[in-house]
Amino acid sequence: MFPSTNIVALLWWSAYTAAAIWLHRTVPGVDLLAPGIVLSLQEDGGRRTVWLGLAWMLIIEGTGNLPFGYGLAWYGVLVALFLLGRSVFEARSLVFMALLGLALGALHPVITHSLASLAELTVDGRRLLLEGALQAAFFPIVWVIADKCYPRMLRQDVKHL
Amino acid sequence: MKKPKKIAIVIVAGLFVYLSLYTWNLRTGHLDALSSHTGLDIASLVIRPGQWVLEKATDFWERYIHLVGLKQQNDDLARENARLVRKNMILAAEARSAERLERLLGFTPPDHWEFSGARVVAHRMGPTGSLATLAVDRGGASGVSADMPVVSLDGVVGRVLRAGAVASTVLLLTDANSRIAIIGEHNRTPGMLAGQGYGEPLTVHFMNLNAVIDPGELLLTSGLSGIFPKGLPVARVVRVRRSDISLFLTVEAEPLVDVAGLEEVLLLHQAPEAPDGPEAAQTKEPGPKPAHAPGTTAREEAAGVPEH
Repeated sequence: MFPSTNIVALLWWSAYTAAAIWLHRTVPGVDLLAPGIVLSLQEDGGRRTVWLGLAWMLIIEGTGNLPFGYGLAWYGVLVALFLLGRSVFEARSLVFMALLGLALGALHPVITHSLASLAELTVDGRRLLLEGALQAAFFPIVWVIADKCYPRMLRQDVKHL
Repeated sequence: MKKPKKIAIVIVAGLFVYLSLYTWNLRTGHLDALSSHTGLDIASLVIRPGQWVLEKATDFWERYIHLVGLKQQNDDLARENARLVRKNMILAAEARSAERLERLLGFTPPDHWEFSGARVVAHRMGPTGSLATLAVDRGGASGVSADMPVVSLDGVVGRVLRAGAVASTVLLLTDANSRIAIIGEHNRTPGMLAGQGYGEPLTVHFMNLNAVIDPGELLLTSGLSGIFPKGLPVARVVRVRRSDISLFLTVEAEPLVDVAGLEEVLLLHQAPEAPDGPEAAQTKEPGPKPAHAPGTTAREEAAGVPEH
């Protein structure tokens, strides 16, 4: 029998994915699934995050137009930064999320430009920088909204005193 | 083992695995195909219901509530229809005449093409949408494959970059990575049309300094690249400049299609060889054919792409 928490989690993450895909359609160049990875690491633990990461990697690679590799590097570096940063910052602080957003904002042009160069594709550098800035701005905002909306029954963290 | 050494080994191993996967995918394309058949299709399936609701709501508003200017629009459409009917009669006569002349000169008729309609599901989307593309709701299940030409009623839109099962990605002609072999409509000067990004003019490469090309001249597909059929309108020349240091003209053109406002497109695919005979001769009649994908009827096709 499937535990009810798993069903709620499945529904919640499906809704989050659908909303993010619609927002991706509206704001191209920005990954709104990335805050979900961090939220999942904070709330769900490793196994569910791996599944979500794999599914979302396929979504961002499939809807995009670069050769495969962006998603793996993108989420790989995000998870590494989160795990490293957790030892220095309070894992759920807004400052940490803002710093992660800034790091991702800087990372986006680097990965895209590297992959495009490897595939001998021309990409607009100025637009990449703008997308990076948007990524940096959106990341903490989306994380805060997702965190507020996350179902209480799925939470595994302890509230601040 | 010390911790820094352990971290270094993990990083090196990760990089090795990443580069191995990347290289393997570049050779085989398996991961690209996997992501197209999963991620692109899932995104398309998520977007379509919402898009349908949005269109119905907009349609309801425009049809039954917001009726300002409807009479004026109706009159304009009636006039436009009358003009198009007249133009169609003239073009049909010209087409019949051209066919007769072709037969007379012994030209081999070009392979004929079929059209199938597709609805635009999204434009550039997601963090990896770095190229100017759009997603359409037709994929491999409807016979769509990579490099298939994509056109609209105004002209060439681009070509299929990747095809999933029920959705595909189309590389637009305005993208900096797009190249289309073209020829001038009047002066028949060949060249290579390249995009420079959305909002930027297209540029024509490899047009000799002594070549004849006029501003305002229509650029058609030359058919030399083997992707597009010959004679499709692509762009209109807006500026021609002669350079002192280059062996080629600097030619700028504007696309005929407003790629940002596209809602439906036509996918072109070569029709299977038709048997000779009177029926085959009828199929060679120029002009757009009823749009339907292999395995579907024209009625089903029309239902798939409603009129707006």
